[in-house]
Amino acid sequence: MPSPELPILLIAIVAGMLAVTSAGRGAWVAIAILALSSSALEFSVGDPNRIGLILRLSAIGIGLAAALPENLFERQALRRDLAVRTLVQTLREHPVVVASAMAGLLLGLVPLALPIESSSDPLRAAGVALLVVGLPPLLTSRFIEATTRAAVVTLSGTLLLRTSIFGELDPLAALAIGAGFTCILVVGGSVATRISNAEEE
Amino acid sequence: MSAEGLLTAIRALFPVLTALSSLALVPLVRLWRGPQRDDATTYATFGVQLLLLATSVGAVLAGAGYLSTLKIGQITIDPSEPGRLLVLLGGIVFAVIVGAGEGRRAGTMGQIALFGIAAIDLALAIPSGIAPIALLLFASLAISGAAASGKDDVGRARAVFRDLRTVSLLLPAVVIAEILRVAISYAAVDASYATPASLAAGTALGVSLVVIVAAGVFPFHGRLIKIFEALPIVGSLLVGVWIPSALALIVMSELSGLASSITDPLGGAIVPGILLAGAATLIFGAVSALLHDDIGEIVGFMAVGNAGWLALAAAASLQSPTDTSSRLIVIPGILSISLFGLWLVSVRRRYGTTSISELGGWARRTGANGIALGAAIVALAALPPGAVLAARLNLLLLGGNPLVAIFAVAGQILLIVAAVRLLLVGFTPQSQTVHEAETRPFANVITISLILGSLFVAAAAAGWLSIESGGTGPLPPAPSVSPAASFTPAPSSDPTVAPSQDPTPSATASPTVSPSGSGEISPAP
Repeated sequence: MPSPELPILLIAIVAGMLAVTSAGRGAWVAIAILALSSSALEFSVGDPNRIGLILRLSAIGIGLAAALPENLFERQALRRDLAVRTLVQTLREHPVVVASAMAGLLLGLVPLALPIESSSDPLRAAGVALLVVGLPPLLTSRFIEATTRAAVVTLSGTLLLRTSIFGELDPLAALAIGAGFTCILVVGGSVATRISNAEEE
Repeated sequence: MSAEGLLTAIRALFPVLTALSSLALVPLVRLWRGPQRDDATTYATFGVQLLLLATSVGAVLAGAGYLSTLKIGQITIDPSEPGRLLVLLGGIVFAVIVGAGEGRRAGTMGQIALFGIAAIDLALAIPSGIAPIALLLFASLAISGAAASGKDDVGRARAVFRDLRTVSLLLPAVVIAEILRVAISYAAVDASYATPASLAAGTALGVSLVVIVAAGVFPFHGRLIKIFEALPIVGSLLVGVWIPSALALIVMSELSGLASSITDPLGGAIVPGILLAGAATLIFGAVSALLHDDIGEIVGFMAVGNAGWLALAAAASLQSPTDTSSRLIVIPGILSISLFGLWLVSVRRRYGTTSISELGGWARRTGANGIALGAAIVALAALPPGAVLAARLNLLLLGGNPLVAIFAVAGQILLIVAAVRLLLVGFTPQSQTVHEAETRPFANVITISLILGSLFVAAAAAGWLSIESGGTGPLPPAPSVSPAASFTPAPSSDPTVAPSQDPTPSATASPTVSPSGSGEISPAP
């Protein structure tokens, strides 16, 4: 296993957990970190496709810029919400999510009846972990922003799982998936705004 | 790029280029007429209608031959016959709907239609696999988001939210199907894998879920009904009917390939399950259409009924991979529901209501709408009997289950009854709402285009023009895909199976290794 893969993988999983458990600033910063780390993992496999990575990061960047709530970058609030103690406390309050991530990680490391003999163990483990972290809130959450973030976590996990077996996406698929990330973030942000506006009226 | 290359690019990407040009056209028209002028919206709508018709003409002229095949590096865009046919028909259908809808946002709806049909054309022009499915799913989400914008309506926003959740769930299903698909070839050489029949069943389930959920097959019909209740009709038709049908064409192609690639019968109860879901959807859609009194909901349930046929067609693709009946019914189904949508938007615009109780005598007051609904009924019934009806009957025969066939036929008859009921309401004594509504003279561009458009679309849907066979044309083949060869192999975990010398299956069992995983779900060797 290449040396930088493991820390990036762990960062991606922790960011995925925080993206579905935190609220407000913590969650959005987590989703940005997840996007960065999972894209780096996805496009580092085999022959690195820098265009694909740039495309993906640009797409997610545009989506995040459109979806981020106002006043996200208030310095004091950011410092408070991103304090290590706060993040640890958030994860401690959601033991099921942490347990799911651990279980997913282990499940991903164990070879199953899939064409995985030649696949990348760490990527597969990260993919399964993010899938099991993202799917439950995607299915059940009634909050639009939380569902949007869960969708991004699930999609990132799916793509890591796929990459672990098939390698990086071809250019057209990379373009379609990049547009999809933007679409999920923009539409999720717009729906959240519209519902809150309608409820205010 | 040479002149020839440029021409090829224009041919290949014509619908996309037309859609993009609308982004400049509409603001330019508004600038030309001035924001204060009332006719700015009318001119913008007219401009977008012209672009829709130009897309249709362009699709016919460009065609789907090798002259339209664009290659940029590893990327190949090879427009398909079904894609170009959908653009041809979509341009006409949506031009008429946008005209009939009028209103402040008609131009925007036309732009949404342009992007929708461009996405369909592009998806059916790129190699099969994850890319076209992802493109269509995300286009569906983007269209529902765009169509719902304009006012802060909670109902609309919730319909889009539901769409977001659906799209995000379907993509993992496709990827898991893709992984299972590749495992089929490994199962032949390694006993630690599940049997090819069960892996194929898992693949078929994953791929079929895309159509079942996106098209609104029972019990996943709720999303479709919400879409028809909440979104403007252009958005409803694209998200609820056109894009799911394009997905169905891709999925049927995948299922045919899958069924051809295995020798054993498909494991599990996948085929009976899909057949039952299809028949139940037809009955459910038809009975619900009969029981509801809101024409928006009724058209939504008609679309649910059409989804039942798509499910039956998906099952037929698995049972008889070489039979084209499954793909032959897709385009007539799209056109029938679009005609109901056209009628709905026209009636809603004229009378300002969607309640049947307030629409008594509508057909006597506006005969053009009566002609549109009559055309929709002819399209739904596929009369006079011809290729479309024969294809539907063939699907039922391929199903091989008399009970499913009886339910499907009963469902289709009830759908026609539900449509006839709407027409009969139009000949009852005029309600107050209908009596007081303003009508435009018969000799009017919009009325004439409504009548001519309805008749043309009905003729295409009922099989009079014999163009439905274009929907059975081949889609661009997917390149071979296999697990990436660059990873460090790991030994098999099953202690009962002796590890093979070569960690990957032998060359005879493994598909060709391609440099990049394209997401193809193509036939295993």
